[in-house]
Amino acid sequence: MSSSHKTGGTKALLRSHEFILFVVVVVEWIFFYFIGTSKNFSGHTVGFGTLDAQFDILRHSCEIGLLALVMTPIILTGGIDLSVGSVLGFAAIVFGKLWRDGHVPIPEAMLGALAVGACAGGLNAFLITWLRLPPLIVTLGTYSLFRGLAEAVTHGADTFTGFPDSFNFLGQERWLGMPAQLPVFVIVAIAVWLLVHRTTFGRSFRAIGYAPEGARYAGLPVERRIALVYVLAGVVAALAGIIYTARLGEAKADSGTGYELFAITAVVLGGTSIFGGSGSVHGTLLGVAAVAILKNGISLAHGPTEVADMLTGVLLILALTASIVPKILSKRPARVQTVPSTPQPSPTS
Amino acid sequence: MKRILVLLLTAGLVLSGCGKSDTGSSADSSSAAPAASGAKKLTIGLLPKAKGNPYFVSVAKGAQKAADELGDTLIFDGPTNDDASKQNETVENWINSGVDVIAVAAEDKDSLSTPLRKAEAKGIKVVSFDADVLPDARSFFVNQATPQGIGYALMDKAAQLSGNTGEFAIITASLTAANQNEWRKYIEEDLAKNYPNMKEVDFRPGNDDKTTSQTVATELMSAHPNLKLIMAISSIAVPAAAEAVKQAGKIGTVNVIGLGLPNENKQYVHDGVTNCVILWNTGDLGYLTVQAADALVKGTLKPGDKTFKVGDKSYDIAGDKNDNILLGAPTVFDKSNIDQFDF
Repeated sequence: MSSSHKTGGTKALLRSHEFILFVVVVVEWIFFYFIGTSKNFSGHTVGFGTLDAQFDILRHSCEIGLLALVMTPIILTGGIDLSVGSVLGFAAIVFGKLWRDGHVPIPEAMLGALAVGACAGGLNAFLITWLRLPPLIVTLGTYSLFRGLAEAVTHGADTFTGFPDSFNFLGQERWLGMPAQLPVFVIVAIAVWLLVHRTTFGRSFRAIGYAPEGARYAGLPVERRIALVYVLAGVVAALAGIIYTARLGEAKADSGTGYELFAITAVVLGGTSIFGGSGSVHGTLLGVAAVAILKNGISLAHGPTEVADMLTGVLLILALTASIVPKILSKRPARVQTVPSTPQPSPTS
Repeated sequence: MKRILVLLLTAGLVLSGCGKSDTGSSADSSSAAPAASGAKKLTIGLLPKAKGNPYFVSVAKGAQKAADELGDTLIFDGPTNDDASKQNETVENWINSGVDVIAVAAEDKDSLSTPLRKAEAKGIKVVSFDADVLPDARSFFVNQATPQGIGYALMDKAAQLSGNTGEFAIITASLTAANQNEWRKYIEEDLAKNYPNMKEVDFRPGNDDKTTSQTVATELMSAHPNLKLIMAISSIAVPAAAEAVKQAGKIGTVNVIGLGLPNENKQYVHDGVTNCVILWNTGDLGYLTVQAADALVKGTLKPGDKTFKVGDKSYDIAGDKNDNILLGAPTVFDKSNIDQFDF
């Protein structure tokens, strides 16, 4: 809990969900370090423990990480966005189409894709804030709509490839020793963290999620703030689409299928209450790390990767349990905003 | 405090316990791999399009047989559904975990070629099988069937069943389907060359749809009363044509053959509606792929070779760039052997 350092010093920090998740991530990392690292014939260390492997884990989780980052403020406001994976795919297709068929240069095609992402997020925001439709329903609709648009543009079969190496560099190569997409991810992570934790905007997200009516009475422009987080999600999902395209060297209509659920998993694993009102961006980053290490660790250890989803589920349940049990044991009345699995009391103020 | 620590430890233990029970076997294999450096045991990564697809499961069986014979460690891993990005991630993880050779069936040849080139740059050998990648991203493609092999096998079988004389019709996928048209070219080449008394009376699309294919088969039978055989060259059309023949009560009068999966056609083959389906033997494909992968690392298979020998069997190497290892003539799955295959 981000507020823990204010309320109770070390003890509260140790009891915070983020700290427990941090320990889980470390345990997970050490576990895969031991089972996933070995020496090959020529005596070189190979597997999980190598820097290359660590960097590739970052590379593989960059797009889901970006989606999880912008999903966090949405869930903080008590909303959800199921369409981010579809926006990723649609933006990738728009980018590929502009570049190949529209003969638009790469930078302009990127801007075009980001603009489409913003429009997609804008559509979600419009339906949610102006028409007051529930986010779950709205984004379930746009989830199909944007994926369908991507498939319609390509007739489900066309793919865009043959991008210049300078573009594929962004997804496939190293820049100053690190994966080229890492700086982008770090910048977005810092920006979202600052937005959520160091601005009045960020505090208003939690206030809205905790009690939307209360926030309204307090004079917060609730609709505008909510619209902001959905537009932001659209833009960053489009950015993830561009990075995904660069990583594969190809734009396809099915890019990012199912990524929205991985992103939501990471956010909830990171301690953000699915009912809104509480959570943190660093928790989300730990959530992304926990899932990414698990998935890639099994693969690097030559384990059965099909159990990764099952173990992700186990991890999610364990982490949520681990964060709630100390509070039960300490027999202190559970603070509402730190209990992700309990519904909020109705905000009758 | 203490209680929290205990909890954390418990959580950690449970977590590592879960991991262990599921990854135990792999931990053994990865630690065993670097043990003997004298008789070099290779680690081979075999990447299917989809891991649970019975087609690839049967490929993996043959691959495992070859790996056992060679003493190699085989890792069969990949997406659980046809997911190109998961294929790339698997290859990148294999590069990091230090496999010796990678064998792939590409979901998407352009995107998969990228990590494969990285693998080659790191000295990892690459072969493809079933679905090729770009030629510069692998050394050899283990080619399960040439269009000529398929076309000739189908036509020879059709002629044999019709006593080298009579009418037959073809149901294809769509009129523009590239593979099917390629096969048709060789079917008709074989027909013109070797079977002057056979006559192809119709060539109709079933649109890769069961209902349409079945309707087309029914129409073919009424339009051509002397029809002796229906040849279905799209896998969906084979059981559909068989169903049409069965419903028309023409079992024994009109034969069905085609290019299809044994599992989808078993019942019709046993009922005597479909005489046989023709396809490559997937187990042999996996076996040859692993043999080629192993030989490529050990240097017994080199670019430029004209043949590849496994035991006393010799496989031709052909193709534009002389880099396709040919599995050979397709296998005929009929009453006598179809139950031995599960894909």
